Amino acid sequence: MQPTDFPGRRSPHSTRGLILLTALSLAVTACNSLRAPPYQPPSRPSGPSAPGPGSAQPGPGQPQPPTPSRPAPRQFRLGPAATALVAQAHKQSQGGQQELAAATLERAMRIEPDNPLLWIELGQVRLNEANAAQADSMGRKALALATGDPQAQASAWHLIAESLRARGRNQEGAEAEQRANALMPR
Amino acid sequence: MLRRFLVAGLLLALLAGGLYFLYVDRLVTRQFEGRRWTLPAQVYAAPLELYAGSPLTREELEQELARLRYRKVDRLERPGTYREQGARVDVALRAARFADEMRPAEILTLTLGRNGVESVRDSTGQDVPIARTEPLLIGSIFPTHGEDRIVVTPQEVPPLLPAALKAVEDRKFDTHHGVDPESILRAIWVNARAGQIEQGGSTLTQQLVKSYFLNSRQTLERKLREAMMAVALELHFGKADLMNAYINEIFLGQDGSRAVQGFGLASQFYFGKPLSELDVSEVALLVAIVRGPSYYDPRRHPDRARARRDLVLKIMGERGVIKPDEALLAASKPLGVTTRASGAYYPAYLDFVRRTLRRDYREQDLTEAGLSIYTSLEPRAQDQAENALERELARLDRLHKGPAKLEGAAVVTSPQSGDVIAIVGSRNTGFSGFNRALDARRPFGSLVKPFIYLTALETGRYNAATIVQDQPLSVRLPEGKVWQPENFTRQTYGPVPLVRALAESLNLATVGVGLDVGLPKVAQTLQTFGLPRAPPLNPSMLLGAVDVTPLEAAQIYNGLANGGFRTPLRAVRSVISADGKEVKAFALEVTPVAPPEAVYEVDRMLEQVMQRGTGKPARAWLPANLVVAGKSGTSSDLRDSWFAGFSGSHLAVVWVGYDNNQPTGLTGSSGALPVWARLMSGLGTTSWSVTMPESLAEAWIEYPTGLRVETNCTQDVVPIAVPVGTQLPVKPGCGANSLDAVVERAGEWLRDIMH
Repeated sequence: MQPTDFPGRRSPHSTRGLILLTALSLAVTACNSLRAPPYQPPSRPSGPSAPGPGSAQPGPGQPQPPTPSRPAPRQFRLGPAATALVAQAHKQSQGGQQELAAATLERAMRIEPDNPLLWIELGQVRLNEANAAQADSMGRKALALATGDPQAQASAWHLIAESLRARGRNQEGAEAEQRANALMPR
Repeated sequence: MLRRFLVAGLLLALLAGGLYFLYVDRLVTRQFEGRRWTLPAQVYAAPLELYAGSPLTREELEQELARLRYRKVDRLERPGTYREQGARVDVALRAARFADEMRPAEILTLTLGRNGVESVRDSTGQDVPIARTEPLLIGSIFPTHGEDRIVVTPQEVPPLLPAALKAVEDRKFDTHHGVDPESILRAIWVNARAGQIEQGGSTLTQQLVKSYFLNSRQTLERKLREAMMAVALELHFGKADLMNAYINEIFLGQDGSRAVQGFGLASQFYFGKPLSELDVSEVALLVAIVRGPSYYDPRRHPDRARARRDLVLKIMGERGVIKPDEALLAASKPLGVTTRASGAYYPAYLDFVRRTLRRDYREQDLTEAGLSIYTSLEPRAQDQAENALERELARLDRLHKGPAKLEGAAVVTSPQSGDVIAIVGSRNTGFSGFNRALDARRPFGSLVKPFIYLTALETGRYNAATIVQDQPLSVRLPEGKVWQPENFTRQTYGPVPLVRALAESLNLATVGVGLDVGLPKVAQTLQTFGLPRAPPLNPSMLLGAVDVTPLEAAQIYNGLANGGFRTPLRAVRSVISADGKEVKAFALEVTPVAPPEAVYEVDRMLEQVMQRGTGKPARAWLPANLVVAGKSGTSSDLRDSWFAGFSGSHLAVVWVGYDNNQPTGLTGSSGALPVWARLMSGLGTTSWSVTMPESLAEAWIEYPTGLRVETNCTQDVVPIAVPVGTQLPVKPGCGANSLDAVVERAGEWLRDIMH
């Protein structure tokens, strides 16, 4: 089977590219007629699948130009099931039941495993348990998932900063905090 | 004088008898009062989560309810039933204990549409954000040659059961004092006339004593002792107490080395559902089995069991336990026992659970302390994995006619959580035995290659388009020998881009890369991803001369499926003590083991393995637009056939080979891959869809040459991910025109000032 047999599915990078192109076509209209017809690579059967129950992903659009591909901004949210579970976890955590809170969050993660917000929540619980190393790892996992969502990225950096400070690594903590603030000025 | 001796003798005998009775009494009372049945740990599968937006289909829901032995009814009666009305399904969920809550029985209304669950509401019509079925009991951890049981409280016992037991086994139970002389005399009379033992005169209390305190040898001394103990028990304990003890104690079947004790477990063992839900005919069958669990085994001797059950029903009718017409109706029903195959019985998975828990618990705690163990097993995935392995191996055996039957193993995980959701240790899935998933340690073969390339990418000197030489090479080994690896096809392919070398699993190119980055570095990558021992640092390691079990392979690949994070694979989520108070959670842990960017680049190459490399045959099985990434593996002389691959939500590793390590004639693509593809196609899995890290960019290159193409100038192209700013040589005539580049730069400039 050739790759071309697959229906065109897009990676999330193109919306930003499109906005850019639109801006460009306004700014440099003169050049537009000179442009070669946009290159259409054989459609790649990749890109994000149907968005999870809560995550906001850009919808399908035009075939993408080859370069540059920048992630479109997006904003992760929690679906109703995960929202309910996070609320429950907060209660458990406030009641001192960190293990139960973590188990509840894991239950939510089975529904939305790619949602960085849940990893950040779990990292918070690890901090409450004084497990800064795991909090740090959760923050980094969240960061890897949060590509394209500056707000989630900032939250992940805050978590990392806190976990670094909890281990007395104040210099690195301050750097992480700066990265958070650069993404999402408070 | 003689008289005095006689009197004294009599007195002494009475005293001795009295003392003996006191001794027996003390023994019985003490033991019985402090009675604690040894309670094997009960092991549960993951519950099915019910929430609006779940991709669950109606068929899957019905399968799950069938596994839990829910009855489909027209009108909801009690927990354990459901009914369907168009798109709506009403489910009367049973009460259940979870690690975090006691869930009372409740009625839920689900609406199912084409895309899954549309709504979940409670009986008042309120939306329920999330609910779950009770977890399926998948087994217990009982001592070797030991008793297995599920203890039930009197509230969990249907009133029909004690009534039937009394009617059939011990009519005078409510009034006698432990023994029933009349019944003994009757038994003696009947047996004497028949010349053999036809009727037992034992009361339920005596049966209890016999099971609890004595072995089965029948001597007069033992009979006397049994009678005394029964009387002693009756002196100290009420009838209700004794009946409850009987119901939990009595032997009701043998399952290999496992003794099925008590009606609670017998109900699960024969019918797959809780005791409280048994109907008249089912209760009667269990009462019938009491008399001779092996003679009346309903699975092995259904005719005998049925005749005895119908007799029990008749007696129940005659003695007013049920109405005679009820007895007739119940006698018209089939036995209704589950077959072994449809029961939940996953020995390979249980084996892993047991081994996991041995680290934290004493064997005695597991077999006696009544723990509840909640696991990650997903029955649907487990069934799918078993089915895929059985069917594909049968097909391969027919095709290849090898010297023996092929064997295999499979492990399925949820990569992000590290949950192990299925383990198959053999094609004979119903039998515990050699657990290949955990114990077959075989050469990794080409499954090692992605980790060589990952190591290469991490050096910053390689990317997916880097040209590597697939050419003959010889390596001088320390002991003076010369190692000359070959490609599988025995051909060489010259200069090829890295992505192609991986997709087509070229040995020579890979060894070249591996030697360039260094064996210690490759070994370190493998170990940080989860290889539990240091591999031998021979060049042949680069072609997979590293022994791993399928479970270890799954652990190592899980890091690729999880974006460069290692998560210890877990079967057990939590363990709860018998009183429900102590909870031990086996928490999710993650550790970054490789830069997410490098892992993304490798994963995109593994996607090409599936698109146009050795994994391509899987496409025939998989939904057309499902994105998966994977790698085949074949060990030398075709002894081991591997495939490891993942989607967005599942990782599966499959091994196929012979137990005696003979060549199979199968490559990873022809042996393990069809099993893997069949398995994945039935999981309802989602595409691999990681968002490209911001520091990477997508580029298209010509597959044979690795040259960049920027226009629609040639067909044979593949997308790769490279670090932003990577200068790739452009194929002549395929570059974007220069003006385009200017526009691009203008765009970046524009964006910068707009920000």
